[in-house]
Amino acid sequence: MKYPKELKYTKTHEWVRREGGKVTAGITDYAQHEISDVVFVEIPKVGQAAQREKPISVVESVKAAFDIYAPVSGKVTKVNTELESDPGRVNHDCYGEGWFFELEMADEREWQSLMTAEEYENSLKQEAK
Amino acid sequence: MSGCLRYLPLREKHIEYGAKWGQFGPWEVPLYYSSILEEHEAVRKRAGLFDISHMGKFIFEGPGAAAFLDGFLPRPIQKMDQGKALYMPLLNPGGKIIDDIILYRLGESRFLMIVNAANTEKDFRWIQSKLPCSAAFIFQNPSDEYGLLALQGPKSVRILQQAFGSKSVPPLQYYEAKLWDWGVIARTGYTGEDGFEFMFHCSKLAEAWEKLFRAGAGEGLCPAGFGARDTLRLEAAMRLYGHEMNEETSPLEAGIEWAVDWDKESFEGREPLSKEKKEGSAKRLAGFEMVDRGIPRQDCAIQKGGRILGKVTSGSFSPTLKKNIGLGYVPAAEAFAGNRIEVVIRHKPAQAQIVKLPFYHRPKSNP
Repeated sequence: MKYPKELKYTKTHEWVRREGGKVTAGITDYAQHEISDVVFVEIPKVGQAAQREKPISVVESVKAAFDIYAPVSGKVTKVNTELESDPGRVNHDCYGEGWFFELEMADEREWQSLMTAEEYENSLKQEAK
Repeated sequence: MSGCLRYLPLREKHIEYGAKWGQFGPWEVPLYYSSILEEHEAVRKRAGLFDISHMGKFIFEGPGAAAFLDGFLPRPIQKMDQGKALYMPLLNPGGKIIDDIILYRLGESRFLMIVNAANTEKDFRWIQSKLPCSAAFIFQNPSDEYGLLALQGPKSVRILQQAFGSKSVPPLQYYEAKLWDWGVIARTGYTGEDGFEFMFHCSKLAEAWEKLFRAGAGEGLCPAGFGARDTLRLEAAMRLYGHEMNEETSPLEAGIEWAVDWDKESFEGREPLSKEKKEGSAKRLAGFEMVDRGIPRQDCAIQKGGRILGKVTSGSFSPTLKKNIGLGYVPAAEAFAGNRIEVVIRHKPAQAQIVKLPFYHRPKSNP
């Protein structure tokens, strides 16, 4: 499984990419693999307020629904509406076409508290124990 | 019931085939091997092999077995031809569903009853309580000694003949069953496709599994897990005990009146059921398709104009229809095709429409 070095991660299995004051987020390779076939995604609305570690989106497999948490606080600036008609993108390209939303960060210090790829991989190993 | 997990006899085989485990009642079962969607499609277009060894298996054998079963079951048993299978509910005196079963007549005085795994002990005790002291036949629960495999999908006949040799496989029509060299073979299933269900002694189970895979490799046979089993049966609107049926539902409400024979003058639960038929059922099982976005799940409320109608009993994304579908109970007067209802998903009402069942019919081109 892949965890690109340029991204940061949460313990709830979201990845985060930073471009200036904005971040894009989706779910990690580990998460998409565990969820298996994604058949439904509920994305947030543009303009919606996001609160760090609070549910902001829902992803569903054939069997169950899972919450997606906001990795940082801020305001939703863009959403991937393609996921509504083609949720399988989350499985096929979780770090690319399978992105969920873009946020304008309210507090840039929150970026620092996210995990690096190495820290995330270590946390997965801990979880597996 | 103990908190211990129960394991399938082919557990090692499932690990070898890459099973992702899930739980079904107390049983550890393969949820999927590759993915639920792939396995679902394999069964609809080619074939899938399921291990359903968790199910309960009862044997009735000896003089008087047919008359005994005829005494309480809601379909005619003494008249049943040898080599036939019948689906029916086990009814309590109130006409409600204790379980739903398939009964196979393997000989003049030899019957096999397949029951839901979670109900095995309950059913066994209940049937035992009906046994006359003078019974000359045996009634046994050898569930742990035998395994069940289900080969389902349009390529099933070809794979079966290649696996065991076309001469050694008995010819079977839908809902027929035979004893053969390997155990019991029946043309039954729980997917809405053509296929077979086998009962093998546990000592032959792994060999049979391998034989089927060697023969099926070229036909696209996939191991299929409980995830696909559930989406397949839901599309075919086959009821699942514990979801669409329980001891508070009648076969009329559950829409399986066809599995009750009114020509039979007496069977357990006939009187209250016939009263219900005359007076009308309070609730009915209905199938619906989502109009708005959202996947209905078990226990979601069904409402209309702010009035609660009932609850969803099963719901899923339908891989074949590419729609979100569900089953649930509503007042009988509301259970008509075209009726607009709302399903409450994550506290928000979403529009849905009641449709005719089943959601999926196998195409005529599939045998």
